Amino acid sequence: MFERFTEDARAVVKGAVVQAEEAGARSVAAEHLLLALLDREGSRASFALTALGLGDRRDAVRAALERARRRGGLTQAETDALAGLGIDVSGIVARVEEAHGVGALSGERRGGGRWTGHRPFEREAKDVLTGALRAATGRRDRRIGDEHILLALTARPGVPAEVLADHGVTHESVTRVLHGGGEARAS
Amino acid sequence: MTEATDLAERAGDRDPRVGLRAVAALRRLLEQLEAVQVRSARRQGWSWQEIANELGVSRQAVHKKYGRH
Repeated sequence: MFERFTEDARAVVKGAVVQAEEAGARSVAAEHLLLALLDREGSRASFALTALGLGDRRDAVRAALERARRRGGLTQAETDALAGLGIDVSGIVARVEEAHGVGALSGERRGGGRWTGHRPFEREAKDVLTGALRAATGRRDRRIGDEHILLALTARPGVPAEVLADHGVTHESVTRVLHGGGEARAS
Repeated sequence: MTEATDLAERAGDRDPRVGLRAVAALRRLLEQLEAVQVRSARRQGWSWQEIANELGVSRQAVHKKYGRH
């Protein structure tokens, strides 16, 4: 499958490994794929993100991902579901961080020596890549580009899709700017 | 544990989706909290057996889950 990836898509996959490494994560998650995507310039995904107004708001996306990481990778929807049970996730995060340091719930090791071993892709990250293949196949695209990775990220429930949707980037809106359905809609 | 009682009520209540989503979220949170506590115990020199005793699981189970870390 990897041989069908474009240069940009390969750069995203490799970039995700670097993102995981820099964060001190032991495995590569879907959010690392998104972080790597945000770093791309001049690619199809980059074009789509800019067209959707994310050009200069990429840091806001990075910050939102960081917040989700600090609450143990829970989405806002999950946090709300727990609030419905009377469980205050931000209160728990505050107490855990007080005792174990900032970012304790993220499971990452900051400054505590880097994990130098092999970094496997988590199941959800693999699912995103499989989803990218499916997105390409669905449109009869021969190559898998980074825009297909973006489409796969928006299609899969989880933190990356939720954060992207909060910034106006959904499966629908990405499809629209990429393929337009002919021309831009007036309304 | 009032959360568990609330949870039971909620899970057996009205819309199953709300309850199921809450249970799944709670499980995720639980996993993260367990990892934090196990790492902390290891840093303080606890043995796998001691950690397993507190968690109420076998030593092998804890070691298999966290041993590499």
